[in-house]
Amino acid sequence: MPVRVVESSTPSQVSGQDASSGHSLPPRCTLLNVGRAFAGTQNVSSLQKDEAWKVNVQIQGCDFDHGYLCGTMEALNVPLADTPVVTFWEGEIVDTKNYTFFTGKWEATPEDDIRHWSKFPSFGPLLSQVEADGGKSLDLSNYPYIFMRWKEQYFVNVGVDCGLTIAGFYYVCFSCSDGSINGFYYDPNSSPFQKLELKCSNELMGFTFSSYQLQ
Amino acid sequence: MPASATGNRPEELAERLGVGGAAAEGEALLKALREVKNQIIGNKTKKLLYLHLGAVPRIVSVLASVAGGGDAALIVQAAAAIGSFACGVEDGVRAVLDAGAVPHLTRILSHPDEKVVDAGARSLRMIFKSKLTPKYDVLQEKNMKFLLSLLYRENENVTELAASIIAHSCERNEEQKALYDAGILQRLVKLLGGPLNQRDACLESIEAIVRNNSEVAQKFACIDNGKALSSLIELIQDRYPRTRLLACICLITIRHASPCFVQEMQIKTKLIIILIELLEEPGTAGDEAPFALTNLIMDEEELHRQAVSINAVDKLCNFFYKGPIEPRRLQGILLALAELCSKLEKCRSQLLSLQVLNFIVDALKHDCTDVRIAACSCIRNISRSLKNLSAGHLSSETVVVPLVQLLHDESSLVQVAALGAICNVAVNFAPRKSVFIQCGGVSQLVQLSKSMDPTLRLKSVWALRNLMFLADRTDKECVLMDLTISNLASLICDSEHPIQEQALALVSNLVDGCRDPFEHAFAEDNAIINALTRILRGASSPGVCIQGMFLLANIAAGNELHKEVVLNCLLPPQANGDSPLFIIKFLQSKENLLRVASVWCIVNLTYRDSLCSSTRAARLRDAGIISQIKTMVNDPCLDCKLRVRMALEQCMDFENTHHVH
Repeated sequence: MPVRVVESSTPSQVSGQDASSGHSLPPRCTLLNVGRAFAGTQNVSSLQKDEAWKVNVQIQGCDFDHGYLCGTMEALNVPLADTPVVTFWEGEIVDTKNYTFFTGKWEATPEDDIRHWSKFPSFGPLLSQVEADGGKSLDLSNYPYIFMRWKEQYFVNVGVDCGLTIAGFYYVCFSCSDGSINGFYYDPNSSPFQKLELKCSNELMGFTFSSYQLQ
Repeated sequence: MPASATGNRPEELAERLGVGGAAAEGEALLKALREVKNQIIGNKTKKLLYLHLGAVPRIVSVLASVAGGGDAALIVQAAAAIGSFACGVEDGVRAVLDAGAVPHLTRILSHPDEKVVDAGARSLRMIFKSKLTPKYDVLQEKNMKFLLSLLYRENENVTELAASIIAHSCERNEEQKALYDAGILQRLVKLLGGPLNQRDACLESIEAIVRNNSEVAQKFACIDNGKALSSLIELIQDRYPRTRLLACICLITIRHASPCFVQEMQIKTKLIIILIELLEEPGTAGDEAPFALTNLIMDEEELHRQAVSINAVDKLCNFFYKGPIEPRRLQGILLALAELCSKLEKCRSQLLSLQVLNFIVDALKHDCTDVRIAACSCIRNISRSLKNLSAGHLSSETVVVPLVQLLHDESSLVQVAALGAICNVAVNFAPRKSVFIQCGGVSQLVQLSKSMDPTLRLKSVWALRNLMFLADRTDKECVLMDLTISNLASLICDSEHPIQEQALALVSNLVDGCRDPFEHAFAEDNAIINALTRILRGASSPGVCIQGMFLLANIAAGNELHKEVVLNCLLPPQANGDSPLFIIKFLQSKENLLRVASVWCIVNLTYRDSLCSSTRAARLRDAGIISQIKTMVNDPCLDCKLRVRMALEQCMDFENTHHVH
């Protein structure tokens, strides 16, 4: 009988106030590491029409110790754009040490945070603890999902006058099991809950790995 | 006009110096000495000329003949002239030392005439300023007693000399301890209350006695119930810049030697503020301030933040706009900026927004080696900014070309520093690396990867590894042409583990992302695969094994043939059952990442869409690898556990299919 990959374990709680003690440094998931590419869509439908943009994402930097991640996002069939639009984003990994579930900036209230995180089924087991103490006492280092916020910082290949905005940010949930990514774009001035769905894309007849190391 | 007997031409003057023969005597000798002394003060050319004429041994012979009790005026002039020769010219110091001046000068410190003592002390101070002067052996009891006696003299020139000798000579732990035990540190603290020059010399010697010695540093901090430490803290606000600088340096040294002192953020912030203010001072105080600042904030993010909050980056960068900077000061400023940019992204963005990158790039071409090295460190740390690397701000020709030129530098220290910067700048995330290739960067990196110097070899392979991260196929081919398969294979088997690791990661980057370069792994009679197999069977360091297994996983993501080669590497057909398979050892390793990399290899070998995966799965099962993996379904490392389940799911699929048929 095949063994199921997905496991709906409830994350353990760490004792005491210091939630940082149990965190480990190396990449917690080899599927979320530099060089890894993801492909999928972002649903940008509005009341007027259904619309989805093809999206490619590449991870360029990863620093689990500081809860930091960065990369590029390429939107392929953006209306009125001659070329694919590439942006550079930086991510905050919710590890309860560097970052919590509460954004505390970018015009996101705790209510907005809970509303968006709750859209991910894997957030369910965490909800009550997050409501109680912001999730500070959770140890997520062994949870098979990684929650992040991705904030686009600049356009890589088009000017700021391209008629597009990067004012908002993404609530992101990464599955360590298969490397799939789900996200919701949040910008009070854009259509709500634009869904981002990505899958690991750099497979040949297997998974390959690239890396660099800064000095 | 014919030259008179008392002509002042150097040749004639030199003739008249000395004892006996053609030398002058009495008043004429005194006059000649005074004249020579006056001519050479502050005049390097004249000093060299008189050195060439052999003046120094003659003056020392005069001193030797009168030091025991001759004419005081003659001794003063001879001592002063010797001191002047030893000031600022290395050949002068050498001549003074060779002529044996030190014992004679030391003898006159006991002269009854204070003027003679002053002249001797000043002259010796000049000599002990030079690095060429041998250390004074403070471990000899008579020497220690002599130093202590000097420190108790009323003459401030003498006490200053004693402090200078200590600063010059005290290096080793036992010397520091002996000086403390002899009561010298306590005496130096008392002398801090004296005149300016004495005080500065005492600060320098206190610093030498406590440097890297936690025991002595703690004892210092306890002198007079902490009053010694308090007086240092007062002196950082002294009205003389040099005193402020020396007191800051002293406190920083104490802090590093014994981290329980000088810990209050208030003092540390004060030190940062004072050192940044000192940058504005002309001369040594301003030149040395950035070095002290760097030393203070070294590796401490919190102190970096403090420095940023008081505009350190702005103030350091302002100097670039003020016109040419002296080499020593420029080196210091670049090192301080490098330190500030080592951790905080905020510093890097601030520095780039101040538009000083061009000045730093110019410093890469500076005549002074230390400046070139400091500029490389600065660029290396600025290019830790992924945000700016990704934007391509650091991979333009303006930055890359001068860095690549430094790979030809005559100093290997500069080459190493340039490689450090290139390693980071090479990670520009752009698929094309044309700037590096066109300016000859790749060829030079390849040359250096064959160097006899392991550091150059390591850093050049490291730079190539980073350069090949996400590079496109054409560039990979281009690099491989230069590098050659046989050279890569020998780098994989290098005698140094870190080099093996970088070489394996480099091949992983070459293999990843495009199918064709896979074939290179099989070129030249499987040179790379054979090297890799040899390394993995030899069970090297964990880092090497991890990179080796990721490379094997990358090759196993190829076609049927590639997978077959990897399987044969894991399960050699000729293996006897006695020696355990390395993959089993790796799967049982304590290193999480080694287990993960090994399981990835199995995942790729049993990949669902691949034709012969079921046959391979069967061979893996027969070799006991699948049963080993089954024991890992609850691996403590989450990533490993998930990969194990992935592999087992794939294998189970084949088994189920097999049963159905």
